Amino acid sequence: MKFDTVIGLEIHAELSTNAKVFCSCSAEFGGAPNTHICPVCTAQPGALPIINQSAVEFAIRAGLAFGCEINRYSRFDRKNYFYPDNPKAYQISQLDLPLCINGKIELSTGNVVRINRIHLEEDAGKLVHDDYHNQSWADFNRCSVPLIEIVTEPDIKSAEEAAEVVSKIGLYLKYLGVCDAKMQEGSIRADVNISLKPAGSDKLGDRAELKNMNSMRSIIRAIEYEVERQAEILEDGGVVKQETRRFDDAMGTTSPMRTKENANDYRYFPEPDVLAITFTEEDIENAKARIPLLPHERVAKYVNEYKLTDEDARVITLEKYLSDFYDETVAIYPEYKNVANLFLTEIMRRVKDTEAEEIPFSAQDFAKVVEMADKNTVNRNDAKTIIRIMFEEGGDPMEIAKANGFIVTVDTSAISDFIDNLLKERADLVEDYHNGKQNVFGFFMGQATRALTGKATPMAIKQYLEDALKK
Amino acid sequence: MRTIKEARQMLDEKKISSVELTEEYLKKIKANNEKLGAYITVCEEDAIAQAKKADEKIAKGEASSLTGIPMAIKDNICTMGIKTTCGSKMLESYIPPYNATVMEKLNAEGIVTLGKTSMDEFAMGGSSQTCYYNKPKNPFNPTCVPGGSSGGSAVAVSGDMALCSLGSDTGGSIRQPAAFCGITGMKPTYGSVSRFGLVAFGSSLDQIGPFANSAQDCGTILNVISGRDKNDHTSRDIKLDFNALVGEDIKGKKIGIPKEFFGEGIDEEVKASVMAVADFYKSKGAELVEVSMPTLKYAVSAYYLLACAEASSNLSRYDGVKYGYRTDSPLSYDELVKKSRSEGFGDEVKRRILLGTYALSSGYYDAYYKKAMAVRQQFRREQAEIFEKCDVMLTPTAPTVAYGLNQNIDDPVKMYLADICTVTANIVGIPSISVPCGYDKNGMPIGFSISAKQFDDAKAIQFADIYEREFERKYANI
Repeated sequence: MKFDTVIGLEIHAELSTNAKVFCSCSAEFGGAPNTHICPVCTAQPGALPIINQSAVEFAIRAGLAFGCEINRYSRFDRKNYFYPDNPKAYQISQLDLPLCINGKIELSTGNVVRINRIHLEEDAGKLVHDDYHNQSWADFNRCSVPLIEIVTEPDIKSAEEAAEVVSKIGLYLKYLGVCDAKMQEGSIRADVNISLKPAGSDKLGDRAELKNMNSMRSIIRAIEYEVERQAEILEDGGVVKQETRRFDDAMGTTSPMRTKENANDYRYFPEPDVLAITFTEEDIENAKARIPLLPHERVAKYVNEYKLTDEDARVITLEKYLSDFYDETVAIYPEYKNVANLFLTEIMRRVKDTEAEEIPFSAQDFAKVVEMADKNTVNRNDAKTIIRIMFEEGGDPMEIAKANGFIVTVDTSAISDFIDNLLKERADLVEDYHNGKQNVFGFFMGQATRALTGKATPMAIKQYLEDALKK
Repeated sequence: MRTIKEARQMLDEKKISSVELTEEYLKKIKANNEKLGAYITVCEEDAIAQAKKADEKIAKGEASSLTGIPMAIKDNICTMGIKTTCGSKMLESYIPPYNATVMEKLNAEGIVTLGKTSMDEFAMGGSSQTCYYNKPKNPFNPTCVPGGSSGGSAVAVSGDMALCSLGSDTGGSIRQPAAFCGITGMKPTYGSVSRFGLVAFGSSLDQIGPFANSAQDCGTILNVISGRDKNDHTSRDIKLDFNALVGEDIKGKKIGIPKEFFGEGIDEEVKASVMAVADFYKSKGAELVEVSMPTLKYAVSAYYLLACAEASSNLSRYDGVKYGYRTDSPLSYDELVKKSRSEGFGDEVKRRILLGTYALSSGYYDAYYKKAMAVRQQFRREQAEIFEKCDVMLTPTAPTVAYGLNQNIDDPVKMYLADICTVTANIVGIPSISVPCGYDKNGMPIGFSISAKQFDDAKAIQFADIYEREFERKYANI
């Protein structure tokens, strides 16, 4: 039997506001345990939440970027459950009236994934288990760090599409400046709802929910495993159990979580301590005005205004910090294509595998190297070497060029002496050239370029050679 | 000397110092607290130190309305460095690391905190008899309850162990003990006083308010503790002068008399006493208007559903993990939570947590919580109609006078029904002040309430004050 895969995602993204969402403690990642805490986020008796307006604005920004409608009246609700990392024993979240509804994400496959809602809520703390002493410690630093939950409709059809949705959401949130989207630090994580249905059928099957996936690789592997597992059950005439499952990274398999975790009744009710949030048209227009250019808009700009190829434009925008660096460089030195060429070859390949998300030199310095290559102050190969040295050792590009003898001086008499002499010696080839053997030109160029290293630019050599051969 | 007004004058005229005043109260507390159970914690040393500072302030001519005034604080209002137990074993040794906003404001003013007063456990009760510690008794007759949940704060003032005090009112917890103990107590408009640092019971209903021997004193305290607080999202940015209308006559003002508050279940002596208050206002030129709150019969049910639903969530934080009572050697997290809560909470608290949890459970939410919310909306409409026609509303504060210590404790429903006169003010968030208006055949005090529309608190105080000027108040014989 053939099956269609049906996937919906719930993506949690930590917002990069300075303060937590319901108190004024620092929301920064890490810190010594229990140093970013106060009476509110540790749930002291009598403490009350306040609302961080930046968190609301960040969430709205995300909603607008994904084409959501912003609810003019939005409310918070309490989600009640006991867990030691949850000091109030309830999470302030949003149930009926989330900030944003009805958005969409377009995928490279052409599939459009609808977004059901984006709501604002608070993160929980972290437990540290000391197995040796059989003790657990609670670190509340992360308590009440703002999260948005982005819930998609079950419009995703494969593991690859699911991965694209997650990475696209991460990328957009970074462009918006609302989340650093680092999966390894847990600042973006996904729950995956997955079910199978007979190919072409309209009726959704029973789903399994995979909790807290925190790498792109595990999302893909877990979905692939689930598809196989569910297909086997269905082919044997069985029924897929609706349950929450955990993915084991080492084994590459999923297994059911304890049934207790499946049977939670969260007893949601409206949060009485936080007033409803209302927006005017003006608020929303203001939020729209603060949205920076998004990846697809930057691609359009690069293609239409800078005349880059679609492919090059896409590659540059794959990371916000890279695209920002490119933008900064062309703002200083607006040779769009030349900047892109060196950027795509020399910078992209060096940053691809690092997690640092930074380039160790300024756009100013990079612009200088491109300009030096363009003006033949150094030749293009040496320009690449300069960039390598800037990556590995740092330094000013001009100083590096000088120290390594890369500066090209155009010595016109040396060019004429060498070429005149060469053409005289190889009069036979000159004759061949005039008889139509064009590749002879390449031979002369090669000879001259080698001999004139440091004294002439290829352009100057070519020019002289062409003129000389015309005579 | 029983009022802030008198004490203020004597302090400012240097006829008495704050230290002397404080020592006097500490002496009375020592003599009577065991018998009357007003305080759980007495802050002797701190009180003297605060009084000394207050005297310096007074000497420098920097005194303001409450500088040097000895005050008692209900034990569910967080006081930094001073135990705040909520009358529960659960918080027996809990010392808050912060001050409630009202304490910050009072301390800035230079008040003297005499101590923390006894109360029904987590403010759940109408008799203060669910208190885990020394249970307070009525100063007019120590075999009777003082009312609750702010029983200790009422007893402190009524029993002359403080000049004034703070309580909290979720369904009548200030007004009913004020009535039972023959003093004045006010629940201001919801949102007028910050709840930050008030240990939550029913968050959408809770308000902090004062007890004193006069309505004006209540206004003086409210003028200090009210106002927008950035730490309480539900506090409102409306600056009120609670005593603004004191002394203005009430000629032509309209007083609503909701007939449902004078029907079955209201004691005849109470009824007669409150009707006499109506006549008094009439004699002062006010017009009596009969109004109706047909939904009143659902008030207690709706109130208990809302309050318990919120309480079930608010009290979930007491899990034995972070602070408060923790069971011995639990074998798992689940056991830690279950046993700590089973051992740390008393019966009434457990009853309300169970009730609230049930009302919010999937499958029951629509039938209970949602319906209670609908009743709340209906109340708002009915109240709005009344206050379109009337300036204030006059009702009894409680259906009866204070009852015997062991009465009602085995019948929670009967206890709940006794809240009928007070809960609507909390459900709709309006101000309401209880004032003594008489004594029954056994000498037990009777109180009436004046309620007004939201943020018309000054009107309620105006009416209360006019009555107090001509009423001969009796003080308890201790």
